Amino acid sequence: MEHVRRSPGELLAPYVAFAAKAFSREATYRMEVFTNVGSLVVRLYLMKSVWTALYAQNAAPAGVSLHAVLTYTAIALLMSLVLELDGTRQIRDRIREGSIATDLMKPISLPLYFFSDGVGMTLLHALLIVPALIVSLLIVHIDVPPPHVLAAFALSFLLGYLVNFLLNFLMNCVAFWTLETFAVQLMVRWMSDLLGGQVVPLIFFPGVFQKIVLALPFAAIYSTPLLIYVGTIPPSGYLAAWGAQVGWFIVFALLSAVIWHAAQRRVVVQGG
Amino acid sequence: MPIIETQDLRKVFRSLVRRPGVGGTLRTLFSREYEDKVAVEGVTMALEAGELVGYIGPNGAGKSTTIKMLTGILVPTSGVVRVDGLVPYEQRRRNARNIGVVFGQRSQLYWDLPLIESFELLRAIYGIPPTRYRANLDHFTETLDMGPFLRTPVRQLSLGQRMRGDFAAAMLHDPRIVFLDEPTIGLDVVAKEAIREFIARVNRERGTTFILTTHDLADVERLCRRIVLIDRGTLVYDGEIDALRDRYGTHRTLVVTLCEPTPVETLTVEGAEVESHAGDVWRLRFDRRTVSAEVVIRRVADRYRVSDLSIEEPELESIIRRIYLEGYSEAMAPA
Repeated sequence: MEHVRRSPGELLAPYVAFAAKAFSREATYRMEVFTNVGSLVVRLYLMKSVWTALYAQNAAPAGVSLHAVLTYTAIALLMSLVLELDGTRQIRDRIREGSIATDLMKPISLPLYFFSDGVGMTLLHALLIVPALIVSLLIVHIDVPPPHVLAAFALSFLLGYLVNFLLNFLMNCVAFWTLETFAVQLMVRWMSDLLGGQVVPLIFFPGVFQKIVLALPFAAIYSTPLLIYVGTIPPSGYLAAWGAQVGWFIVFALLSAVIWHAAQRRVVVQGG
Repeated sequence: MPIIETQDLRKVFRSLVRRPGVGGTLRTLFSREYEDKVAVEGVTMALEAGELVGYIGPNGAGKSTTIKMLTGILVPTSGVVRVDGLVPYEQRRRNARNIGVVFGQRSQLYWDLPLIESFELLRAIYGIPPTRYRANLDHFTETLDMGPFLRTPVRQLSLGQRMRGDFAAAMLHDPRIVFLDEPTIGLDVVAKEAIREFIARVNRERGTTFILTTHDLADVERLCRRIVLIDRGTLVYDGEIDALRDRYGTHRTLVVTLCEPTPVETLTVEGAEVESHAGDVWRLRFDRRTVSAEVVIRRVADRYRVSDLSIEEPELESIIRRIYLEGYSEAMAPA
């Protein structure tokens, strides 16, 4: 019986390959790539019109200038180029069509497979940020903070990405039990867009409500990196902000491990 | 030691009871009533390394469920299962290194990528050493004639090409055991034969163990000496095909073409019954244990003018159909 010890390089090789394949696969859907940028530009223009009209009624609510809000909005939309990708949607699709069975017949960790596939997708779509940023600059002027803030934002964005991945993963794992996750996903997506601060900065929420939404995991995805970017969270607050994101990441990771373990035991393959 | 072994393998699926109608649907939403459906009921079998076994049964017999337990993706309700010394559901990933799978209805190739890139990915997944990968790829490219479409995206391949690709994909890592689920479904005769030839060759040259699940019994007749027959979750036959044919293929069919100037309304021959007729061609079925072919032929020739006749052996398919329809024990009894 073969019992080969594999080096870390060999263990990682499949996942690097998955990411590379996802990257080239996404590149084949050129049309989608362009429509994504197009849709972003339209949304940015609409948001600019809405905020400008609102500010005409009430200048600087919560002490935030129109210019800061527009920067926030533009960066949020650019972030959504990668955060709205759901690499784990495959889980649901593969459970429904039954191909999760052949995946499980491979000597790989499926959660890691979905993660590396998602990373490959993300990397390709991240390239879009460059042209999208250039086009965005034609519509709104975006503030660029000093390098140390940008670095803090990048780290926070990365942590938010991981939390977002796990949230999607958990959501799609629901399909192991229900086969269908559309309603759950739509609800969570709306909640995370609204309560995560993608549409409206969370600091505009009133009193107690603001405290609640800032404490929810959704804030870790959009709000925390964005508030670092626009400077609402000062450098003294970085550690606490990152800490909260890491906290949510750990909670979701543990939850994912439990759910995945249970899911594997109850694979019901559709058909056949 | 057998390479695949099961003892009293059982799998019971538990599902929510669904009620008909709108009221029923609403009640189902809140009901916690379950019903158990037995998919596999106490299957015990042992396969030796290098065997090529047909695993057959009607739809819903429990074939796929068994295969899923052997590949480690379903946990048995009870019983023992061992594949190459491993317990598949406890050591899924290690077991996965020893096995290959081909599903006729489901490709494991990457749809959007050229065929060769799926192979490259599998090389990484299984950690196949470069020299062995190269040798296997060259070998399969040649025997499956994949050269012309190695660089074509999988979605543009014909079904026959895709199946050849799937076979190569399942075998690049030199699995000791390969599970085939309807590997020739939808293929034309030439493509079918190419696939069968490939399976026979790999089995012969590499000693790979194959379990072939199929509804196309021509695959089984062409490739397997041994079949395992399962029906309603229970194993009903495990042995050589020839033995099954001898024991249950008790009927023969005599096909006669008459050259009567006027058509015959009914043809009556003692010891045989009319199975069907089309024009002047009559099919007469008789039990070879009660009357010999020679006697039936003589009786026909005595009463009618015959222009042509032939005797048909029962095909495996008709034997199996009889077992499906009548159940195993009745099929055993003399007709």
